[in-house]
Amino acid sequence: MSDKTQNSENRELSRRQFLKFAGGIAAGVGFGGSLPRLFQLSDGIIAVPASEGYLLIDTKKCAGCLSCMMACSLVHEGKENLSLSRIQILQNPYGRFPEDISQEFCRQCVYPACVEACPTGALAADAKTGRVRIVYQNKCVGCQQCVEACHYDPSRVVWNHEDKYSIKCDLCANTPYWNEKGGPDGCQACIEICPMKAIAFTKDIPRQDMEGYTVNLRGLAWKNLGFPTD
Amino acid sequence: MKGHMGKILRIDLTSRSLSVIDTAQYEGWFGGHGMGSAIFWDLCKDKAISGYDPRNVITIMTSPLSGTLVPSASGRTEICGIGIQSYPTEWYTRSNVGGRFSAMLKYAGWDGIVIEGKADKPVWINIINDQVTIESAESLWGLDAWQTQEEIWSAVMGERNYEGWWQVGTARDSGRSTQKPAVLAIGQAGEHLNRNAAIIHDAGNGAGQGGFGGVWGAKNLKAISVMGTGSISIADPNALIEARRWHQSRQYNVDAPAMQFPTDNFPPMYGTMARTPGFAPLILPVTEPSRPKGCAGCFVACRKRTQSGYSNESTCVETAYYLDGGPEIQWKAADLLQRYGLNVYDINIFNYLRELNKMGILGRGKQIECDLPFEKFGSWEFIDMYCRQIAYREGIGADLGEGIIRASAKWGRLEEDLNSGILPFPNWGFNEHYDPRLEVEWSYGSILGDRDINEHDFNWYVHWMPMVTAAAGQPPAYSAEKISEIFAKKLSPYNDPMMPDYSEEGIYSDAKIKSVAWHRHYTRFYKQSMLFCDWAWPDLINVNVPNLEGTTGEAEPKFINAVTGGNITFEEGMELGRKIWNLDRAIWTLQGRHRDQEVHAGYVYNVPTTVPYHLPVYENGEWKFSTCEGRTLDRNKWEDFKTRYYKFEGWDPETGWPTRAALSSVGLGQVADELAKNDRLGK
Repeated sequence: MSDKTQNSENRELSRRQFLKFAGGIAAGVGFGGSLPRLFQLSDGIIAVPASEGYLLIDTKKCAGCLSCMMACSLVHEGKENLSLSRIQILQNPYGRFPEDISQEFCRQCVYPACVEACPTGALAADAKTGRVRIVYQNKCVGCQQCVEACHYDPSRVVWNHEDKYSIKCDLCANTPYWNEKGGPDGCQACIEICPMKAIAFTKDIPRQDMEGYTVNLRGLAWKNLGFPTD
Repeated sequence: MKGHMGKILRIDLTSRSLSVIDTAQYEGWFGGHGMGSAIFWDLCKDKAISGYDPRNVITIMTSPLSGTLVPSASGRTEICGIGIQSYPTEWYTRSNVGGRFSAMLKYAGWDGIVIEGKADKPVWINIINDQVTIESAESLWGLDAWQTQEEIWSAVMGERNYEGWWQVGTARDSGRSTQKPAVLAIGQAGEHLNRNAAIIHDAGNGAGQGGFGGVWGAKNLKAISVMGTGSISIADPNALIEARRWHQSRQYNVDAPAMQFPTDNFPPMYGTMARTPGFAPLILPVTEPSRPKGCAGCFVACRKRTQSGYSNESTCVETAYYLDGGPEIQWKAADLLQRYGLNVYDINIFNYLRELNKMGILGRGKQIECDLPFEKFGSWEFIDMYCRQIAYREGIGADLGEGIIRASAKWGRLEEDLNSGILPFPNWGFNEHYDPRLEVEWSYGSILGDRDINEHDFNWYVHWMPMVTAAAGQPPAYSAEKISEIFAKKLSPYNDPMMPDYSEEGIYSDAKIKSVAWHRHYTRFYKQSMLFCDWAWPDLINVNVPNLEGTTGEAEPKFINAVTGGNITFEEGMELGRKIWNLDRAIWTLQGRHRDQEVHAGYVYNVPTTVPYHLPVYENGEWKFSTCEGRTLDRNKWEDFKTRYYKFEGWDPETGWPTRAALSSVGLGQVADELAKNDRLGK
């Protein structure tokens, strides 16, 4: 894995790293009971404790096979449906490498608009699930404010139109159809299934820019297949 | 059955009417080819019609595994009906296309599509979940297969056809998707009713063999588009993902491969052994920055998408049929095929045309008028003109659009050129794929069937491995004896260690009869009905694991049962394959099949092999690899082999027709009744 995925010198990230550990102590400060998971930084930015894990995807290694989407839908919903996958792979068959595919997945934002937007507390970042931003389906009333609030397009919060609640990447913390421990301290179905090993997991908050994470999981073996590693 | 969506879409283009077939009626066939043949048997009343006839019934089928996580079985679509390519009879045939169409069709709630009749004007079919409309294709007619798909994406999704969620309709819960509609389309070749026209999907997926592109053209059917947002029920999700992890853990590890390649230039070649990403475009050396590209659910990802965008998703011969002009022209030539919708195997006849040109028979002002600039062979100008002429039936394309076999017959050359082998088309007018004198499961299976079978089940292990290692100056990755040992273990229910013997005696042996039968039955069920991909299955010998043993035998039923909730065994699947093979045989019998026709082209018997061709042989009491020079098939021995093979299958050795006993043994008593009614039941 490239060291580009880690950047401890970034000032903002240092603060995020702090939040990752401080979150449990600060929870609830400055807010009423309706938003118990949020707290406010000194500069006024609303945040929640940082997730204890993140997905990394090498955009140039992905083969666009959609296996991650099928795996995601399978372990979470017990059925196969690309529309119910919390990771979305978009592609243009006539496109030029590497712009032919984009991999759209939840960044477990440090400042999660989806969590902030949820009026019922159905979207949370609890310690017991490694602070991943997770939807508790029994609390979801289907208002879709989380779907709308996500800063990314396509929204990383997915509307489950069959069962009528929002779903999003939880790093497999809650997979009722998979007998495998998930979450930040377990396995993630997309990583396990990706045949190109184009998805990885990190506990360190990845550096982000406008292009998203910069991830390079391509080494000598990839080069020996005749594919680029730069 | 879990994995089925419960309904099959039936479309009569003549009356423009839609109806639904209950999948449960055909559930015992599982899907794909078996289900397609059963539907064809029921709905195509006169099976001796031409493929161009509006009464021809075309089935486009998924399987219970389509759209699921089953590795390399999720994205393939089986197309069946009376073809227009085979010669002299237009046999009931099949073709199979990868990509994501079948997955999307399942998500839309359908197990398959049945096309009957002929539209009075060009149409395309628009499927969005359970909403199906027949749309005018008059504005699409004349576009190539890529342009057609792009136009349909916009028509379905509007201008915002990428980079976001697309909502079906306006209701909150009607479904949404980030995917493009999956489209099967024909190009100009299909519109001109070419017998070598393919159906194209996305950039490089094509159903080529059989000429179904021309069949669609005859029906005025330009394309079928499907967008689905529904779910496929899975009987045991945990068993499915665990089976996938288990199978995948035994395959090529892209970061830590078990097999090391001896040279930089051999990744695609060694990929035929190890099933490496991107091995399908047989381009040496690899210079173009690219990524591997997999069909839906694939663990191999054998294709590529390139930095230039040329040859995206194309495979094998498509990427290597026109080499003389260098890489860029070579890759762009692949795109010509995909855009026009042409079957490379029927137009890859440059040696023949150039030979006729050199002989002074074909060319400008010659007996066979042809204005192709042969002096510029290798240039873009030549291949551009060549493909265009065929697709539009202009110039020499007026003849070549009929397929080279009929063109040669029109020119009065067919018999002579098949006998000499300058036109190497050994079976039913299909181009030679592998040597028919040596790799006989391929040639026997083809002539006993309906087309060039294009099934690599044994081919990777018995031919490619020894050929590639020899070319690289390396010892074989495993011995001929090891092939025998593993085949005996894996090729149930026969388990005969002599099955992979390609010696002069071995190719006519009783073990070879079992080998051919295993191949016919395995492919008919597992590959063409369950839709396990030909380039990934079966997993017989696996260089990625120390004991070299693949997962076949254990894997197929494990996956099927996880999805369906059934309890099928590998051998029961093989028996279903036998059933489907018998049903197809009955259809061909009604089309006029007789054993006298099941003879290869003359050169197979007349012209000895000259090029080294690696295969395992058992000679003088030991297994070894041979290069098999100087071999032909023996006509008398082939006739004797046929007699014994027919008896093995329970068919009439005099005619090759199925008997009542054979058909009844697989539950096809009513098929025997129909043959009897037509005086075609074997004795």
